[in-house]
Amino acid sequence: MSGEDTFSRRLMTAAAMLLFRSHRKPGVKGWELKYRLGKNYMKVVDALNSYLKRIGLEVKTVFEEGEDLDKARFYVVLAHPLTLSDLVTAGWSIDEVAALAVTLSILMSRGGKAPLRDVLEVLETKFPRWKAEAHVERAIRRGYVEKLDDDMLTIGWRTKVEVEQKELLKSMLELRPEEQAQEREESKSA
Amino acid sequence: MSGKSFKISREELEKVIQICENIERRGLNPFTVNVRDLLMKLRRMLEENKTLDHYILDAETMYRIATLIALQQRWLKERAQALFVDAQMIETRLIAMDKKSIVRAFLKAWRPIISLEQITIQRLRQGADHFLSLAPRAGGRSWGWKVTRRDVELIKGSVKPEEEVAEKLKKLHEELLKEYGLRGEVDYWSFIKGRNLEESFERAYLLSFLITDGYVDVRRNPLKNEIKLIPRERKAERKQPASLVIVMGGEAG
Repeated sequence: MSGEDTFSRRLMTAAAMLLFRSHRKPGVKGWELKYRLGKNYMKVVDALNSYLKRIGLEVKTVFEEGEDLDKARFYVVLAHPLTLSDLVTAGWSIDEVAALAVTLSILMSRGGKAPLRDVLEVLETKFPRWKAEAHVERAIRRGYVEKLDDDMLTIGWRTKVEVEQKELLKSMLELRPEEQAQEREESKSA
Repeated sequence: MSGKSFKISREELEKVIQICENIERRGLNPFTVNVRDLLMKLRRMLEENKTLDHYILDAETMYRIATLIALQQRWLKERAQALFVDAQMIETRLIAMDKKSIVRAFLKAWRPIISLEQITIQRLRQGADHFLSLAPRAGGRSWGWKVTRRDVELIKGSVKPEEEVAEKLKKLHEELLKEYGLRGEVDYWSFIKGRNLEESFERAYLLSFLITDGYVDVRRNPLKNEIKLIPRERKAERKQPASLVIVMGGEAG
């Protein structure tokens, strides 16, 4: 087998490892990639990344213990933001994402931790109590939020991977009501 | 040194420990406590009460204050990452804004993880076959759910054999060809419509196989919001395959 064949086989292995979920949580640890792809696994990951970027995806590295790549976790994430219609097609409801956005914005603006009561208080301005609680429960189940023993909420593992904290707070500060946002978009396109 | 003064300073130290613990547990602003004042007080109390009990309590307080300083460092780092945004301001905006605007802002910062988690009909059949081929455990179980003959028949029956699916595909293809012969291009939604929702889903599911296999072409007109079907007698080779997502009965928020 030629060197090129070996490399493309490694590329396929890396794609399967990163895309197919084999653990309870998605993502693969650096040491797992090293075990399957060899010590130069980062070369394979970089090559896969450039392939994925062509179709709007990318490999994201999340360091968990210092800057050690072997202990870092690798994920495939979307490279560009979703649109509202993409969201509905992907099976999310606007209500669910709005509740998630509110919860995460509160947590991030308070340094990553806030009482459940405070989060529900804001959510209840948009949803009935039972629905607000259901949305928080779902966010906990999906790993976006963690609930501590004393009814405190903190940022979950999935948020650390999927959400850019600075970008979220910045866009929340720049929030405009829907009509204004549409007007702005229209004037831009004109 | 009187027992009364020791009791007072002990209470004071316990109060300091409690404050530090509260800040740590509730995620409150650690800068609400003046660390310098606390340390001065601690020093004074230590000079006044030179007993072993007091030393132990003093060490505990010192440890809590050190934790508080570590929290202050972390707090500063997190606030810097959060652009020193006022939490109150964010909450006011969230309350004032409509859901769609909030979602739009969130989408700018959200890059969901992509991961595949699926099972094919073949794997399901393999799993069922494997399960049914397992030898029963010696003696069996005296508690819990047991697999009866009826369950085995049900499992076998619920996984449709390939021939049955192939037969259904053939029938659907013939129906589409007939429809096309009578009226030309066939509207997607009227074609998949069955007697009930379940049948409509089944027709859409089967049709997706005919499309993927090259027996049916799909023409989409986004201006009129139309999807038309053009069947082929023979299988066509797909040179540039593309995906088309069609949502049935989706929630539009």
